[in-house]
Amino acid sequence: MENKQIISILAHNHPGVLLRITSLISRRGFNIDSLTASPSGIEGYSRLTVRMSGDDNQVEQFINQMLKIVDIKKAEVLPEETSVAMELILVKVNSDGSNQNDIISLTSTYHASLVNLGEHSLTFRASGTPSQIDKLIEELSPFGILEMARTGIAALQNGDNCLAAKK
Amino acid sequence: MQLNGSEIIAECLLEQGVDTVFGYPGGAVLNIYDALYKYSDKITHILSSHEQGAAHAADGYARTTGKCGVVIATSGPGATNLVTGIATAFMDSIPMVAITGNVSNDLLARDSFQEVDITGITLPITKHNFIVKNVKDLADVIRKAFRIAMSGRKGPVLIDIPKDVTGAVCEYTPEQPRLIENPLGSEPSDFEAAAKAIAQAKRPMIYMGGGIVSADAEQELLAFAEKIDCPVATSIMGLGGFPSSHRLFIGTIGMHGGYETGKATDNCDLIIAAGARFSDRVAGDREKFGKNATIIQLDIDRAEINKNVFVDYSLVGDLKDTLRCLTDAVESTKHEEWNAQVSEWAKRSSVTETPASEDYAHPYHIIETVNSILSDDDIVVTDVGQHQMWVSQKYRFEKPRRWCTSGGLGTMGYGMGAAIGAAVANPGKKVVLFTGDGSFHMNLNELATVCSYKLPIVVIVLNNKVLGMVRQWQKLFYGHRFSQTDPHRKTDFAAVAEAFGVKGMKIHNDSDAEAVLKEALSQELPVVIDCSISPDENVLPMIPPGKTVDDMITEME
Repeated sequence: MENKQIISILAHNHPGVLLRITSLISRRGFNIDSLTASPSGIEGYSRLTVRMSGDDNQVEQFINQMLKIVDIKKAEVLPEETSVAMELILVKVNSDGSNQNDIISLTSTYHASLVNLGEHSLTFRASGTPSQIDKLIEELSPFGILEMARTGIAALQNGDNCLAAKK
Repeated sequence: MQLNGSEIIAECLLEQGVDTVFGYPGGAVLNIYDALYKYSDKITHILSSHEQGAAHAADGYARTTGKCGVVIATSGPGATNLVTGIATAFMDSIPMVAITGNVSNDLLARDSFQEVDITGITLPITKHNFIVKNVKDLADVIRKAFRIAMSGRKGPVLIDIPKDVTGAVCEYTPEQPRLIENPLGSEPSDFEAAAKAIAQAKRPMIYMGGGIVSADAEQELLAFAEKIDCPVATSIMGLGGFPSSHRLFIGTIGMHGGYETGKATDNCDLIIAAGARFSDRVAGDREKFGKNATIIQLDIDRAEINKNVFVDYSLVGDLKDTLRCLTDAVESTKHEEWNAQVSEWAKRSSVTETPASEDYAHPYHIIETVNSILSDDDIVVTDVGQHQMWVSQKYRFEKPRRWCTSGGLGTMGYGMGAAIGAAVANPGKKVVLFTGDGSFHMNLNELATVCSYKLPIVVIVLNNKVLGMVRQWQKLFYGHRFSQTDPHRKTDFAAVAEAFGVKGMKIHNDSDAEAVLKEALSQELPVVIDCSISPDENVLPMIPPGKTVDDMITEME
């Protein structure tokens, strides 16, 4: 079944590791929506979070191929029901002044905060699950989105579970 | 002790048991070659004519010994000339460590003379690669490179070393390499499930590949095949991993495999794939391959499971251990009726030979004659094209590591270098290179190397004066429009050989073949035989790309 899956990867933060990962994704034709790289809190390791589209076999292939990269120590699916996945968005919405209150009341239901006020625009910051962010964008679209930037996903397992660095 | 980077390289090679390296000197590796001069009593360096030849030689060395091949080249063009050789090794999972020089750290990233980002270039064709910017990291990187090349699914690793690192001095402490272990990735229940599927099968077959050779698992495969008494087909890469003379062996599978292997694949109810990857040259139609069969896949690389063909059971791990455990888990059975059926298919001779002629020898006749003269221990190398397929169909390999061919990448020009590596690694064994006039033209410069080292390689050029394999496809699929496959070359390969200082001979037809081959193979000297064959010879049978045995072509005009 074609679906969206989040995969969490722990990799040695050697130079070029991001290139190895992106090169593999492109070479093997995997279809990814976002990829974020950041420190993992474990010394010497980076965490990469990938959101990809694919059926179960494609996701399994993705993980097995990733694990062949020498610098990658762990790669696991983070299932939606047992993990928390969030992203942050900055979105600049067209506003002629008259609809300003409509926009603000809409965004407040998403706990988005107004971070900048332009002459003809409002810029909001919001965070949430990828589907919440998708929904916010959908609802803001009629007003006219001038530009936006999404961070990509940060995700961790629920409870005490961790992606340990030791294999 | 205090050593410079180049001496550390030499010491680390010795740690790994390396006594032979292939390569070509240049500006960025002057320090390394100075160390090789110093260590010349412990490490033999074979100088090729071109870096590509050195890379293929390291590959041929690795294939015929099971050891890791080592190749050294300078920065820039030296490094890029290795690329085809590294990619060839990568596709066939051949262990290799390639060491390239680069410009000094202070010149890196400035487009300096002979600078190239070789780690970037070789990223998709190596298991891993390194650039070592500090001499303190050098020894550990080299150790790690060998470990990566030789562990799990084997393959090439590249180490790029800036020139200043090869000259910088630091403390070196010797270290013995740790034993490489490949843990089993399957549970006892996986073996039980596979054994149950095998017990239920009425018409099982084994499809083996190069993994058997790579894992040195030929004895384990033999024991397993005999215990379950089923036909064994092989990919081109697996040749030699199962004795060709064995009653269960049915030959190669795939595009130019026999009628019986195609029929067996379609009619079996169980396929046990052992160290094979269902490449498009074997499973032309991925959906229909083994359409009536349950499939069990044994492989050391988990990423191969379900990559090309969906399988029902998988056992991941070293093939030697996996096959041993699986053999223990299965009951001894007989499949007389099924084996008899496969033998019946084998009787259907699917190849019509072209008529005898004064002007041409038959490729099969040449291959069979060589086969009858050589012993099972001698080594056969090929280039790529029609001659390669004819050898894979006809030559009877009895033992592993006597066969070098570029299976995955299909590298024309591979043969000369590989034959050099095989000959250097196996003094006392005969090495025969079957090549075509197209492939031989690509890298015949290595005859100079063969001559320098007096390597007793016999090169048989099956010369049809055309680019035969592509021409065959043009006949079949492009309405006989022979675009750029008939180059009208007049090369006299025997005369070319003589010009390099190598003995040149000729075979005109079948009747003079045996005498010429016997004479050539009785000498301890390099020989090139220009053997005239018809441009109209085809490789048959043939399953067209993307098709199955039902579409097999057995005759062509």
